[in-house]
Amino acid sequence: MSTFSKVISKMTEIGARQKAEAAEYFTHVDGVGPVPRDIYKYVKSNPYGDLPRYSAHIVIQHLLVFITFILLAATGLPIYFSDVFWASYFVSLFGGIDVARLIHRIAAFVMMFAAAYHIVTIAAGTVRKIRRHEFDYKRTQLPRLKDLFDIIHDIKYFLGREPYRPKMEKFMYKQKAHYLAIIWGNFVLIAAGSALLFPDIMARLFPETLGRILPLGGIDADSYSAFFQDLARLMHADEAVMALILLAFWHWTNVHLVPGRFPIQWTFLTGKITREHQIEEHFLEYLHNLREIPEEREYLKNLLKELKIDGSKTLSTGDQNASFSQPVGAGPVEKT
Amino acid sequence: MSRILKKIRISIFAALLVAGITILLLSASPTEAADEYNCLMCHKHRSTGRIDENGKRWNYNVDEFLYNHSVHRSIECRDCHTYITKVPHDPVTQKVDCANQCHIKPPFAQEKFSHEKIIGIYNQSAHGIGAEDSDELKNAKPYCKYCHSNPMYTRMSETAVPYRETLQRCFNCHPERGVVQAYRHITHRLRKKTSRASQEIVQLCATCHQDVELMKKLNVSERAITAVESYNRSIHGKLVQLGSQKAANCISCHASNALHDIYKKDDPRATIYKDNILNTCRQCHEKTNNWFIKIAVHPSEEHGRNPIIYLVSIFFRVVLYGAVFSMVGLMLFETFGRWTDGIKFLLRGGTSWRGQSRRRSKKEK
Repeated sequence: MSTFSKVISKMTEIGARQKAEAAEYFTHVDGVGPVPRDIYKYVKSNPYGDLPRYSAHIVIQHLLVFITFILLAATGLPIYFSDVFWASYFVSLFGGIDVARLIHRIAAFVMMFAAAYHIVTIAAGTVRKIRRHEFDYKRTQLPRLKDLFDIIHDIKYFLGREPYRPKMEKFMYKQKAHYLAIIWGNFVLIAAGSALLFPDIMARLFPETLGRILPLGGIDADSYSAFFQDLARLMHADEAVMALILLAFWHWTNVHLVPGRFPIQWTFLTGKITREHQIEEHFLEYLHNLREIPEEREYLKNLLKELKIDGSKTLSTGDQNASFSQPVGAGPVEKT
Repeated sequence: MSRILKKIRISIFAALLVAGITILLLSASPTEAADEYNCLMCHKHRSTGRIDENGKRWNYNVDEFLYNHSVHRSIECRDCHTYITKVPHDPVTQKVDCANQCHIKPPFAQEKFSHEKIIGIYNQSAHGIGAEDSDELKNAKPYCKYCHSNPMYTRMSETAVPYRETLQRCFNCHPERGVVQAYRHITHRLRKKTSRASQEIVQLCATCHQDVELMKKLNVSERAITAVESYNRSIHGKLVQLGSQKAANCISCHASNALHDIYKKDDPRATIYKDNILNTCRQCHEKTNNWFIKIAVHPSEEHGRNPIIYLVSIFFRVVLYGAVFSMVGLMLFETFGRWTDGIKFLLRGGTSWRGQSRRRSKKEK
């Protein structure tokens, strides 16, 4: 008797979970029908990108930063590691240290121009969206509490505890962290770099203005200039090395070596994202795309019809209660 | 016909003439060293030398080619080696005195040339031997030949010469009237404040000043012991290490145009004395102010300076390692998770999700 009641309770439990998962799994979109969460495994993608992500301004800004960052790192690193054997050879690539320093300064000004250009672009775009009543803070880079839950959800998914990846907006937690880091890094590098480039002005600026407001514990006003110069020397170098390491080992890996992005993600030139990537990592943004782009709506409707999806069956084997073990429809399946 | 032959003959003649002049020009040898007493008769031989009582081997060979290209090429041997009065000469016991008067006259001057003036300045400086110095200190202090070893002429382009600064250096020894004219007309070896490259200057000073044991023996201050080390940590030192000729070397700040007037920083004559330091910095940093001169030119050990700077450096280190390891770790984890779910590295046939999921369903467990 007790076993029977156990089975009953188990069945109802499973049934409740199935219902909840079905609600999570299918998203009903007007004019398309129920969109399964893992439809990204069955869509066709153009490697150069299908859906809009970045405007031409952002692409230009990325290119400016991309070129100047490499120049800045190549001319700045040998100064930081001046006693290492490769430093002087590296410097001679640019025609001597005096030329390298000039290149470093010019590249720094171009990078600052790119930063200013970016601020103007973002501000103007935000104003335009507010005027058209299209502005949605969820689609911006502003960090939210949801991002924290998304990280936890994603880690669970990687561990196999969750069937699907979280539904994320245009900018997921990775991109938000990177964006905040860029803002912080730019601020530090520009401030500390100007202190190194104009030491005479900076030496006067800090003690004569900040020095009167900020009481820095145990330091008399005479040593302010020395203190801030030391701070600038430390921060400029450390921040630059950190940015370089993060870019080399994290950003470049993410856009070049990770499966699905290999060998290169063309978004940085075309400004477009592949459909597969958009649905996988930016599902909520894809729903916006469906609402805004009629062709995309048409494409997905046809695909769902082809896959015979009616809102009752799940698609992939990733689900614990999958009704079939083979994926259906588009894409050849390689047996491994 | 004869006209053509004549033309050919003239052109051949012209060609030969040009070739002859070129050969003559190319084969012109440099000026020969002044050797009135024919010292080179013996000293030109490579094997000229002796073995002394202690078994030490001495080589007295003078390479004529090298000497001909050196600064002192117009000076007679006996102008410096004054104690030699007959040939063959007795064993040499005396040392050369650079304060001697040579038998050459500088342009537009009446008296014979001598390094006396600069030696006078040098003897006043921190490196000059003072009356109250200990024997140890007297032995350790450098003398003329310690730094100067009959330097070679260096070829350089005249356009790179900062005229005014270079001329200032000439006035150390030469009277002002004639030397300006001479300088304008004659190629000169001085190009900057010093004729050595900045790297060479730092190396030269470092031979003694980086020798920590020697410096400790001479009871110099803690900051002076680490002077070379801390200089190499500064932006000046880094740039000089990388070959910059613009960045300040030791001499740029520690001596005036006389180059040998290096004093301790408590001495009011020193360029780094607290009242003079503003002018010293102004040589390069034109907009110097009273706050600027307080910035450390010889920055001390990276984090030993200030507790706040130490904390900031720790903060940066923590953020660096934290960010790199967490971000890269999450990325690897993510790649693993997606790879188990069947993603492939290449987008082929319009999808990269071509693989089968390796996830186990609950039923299989």
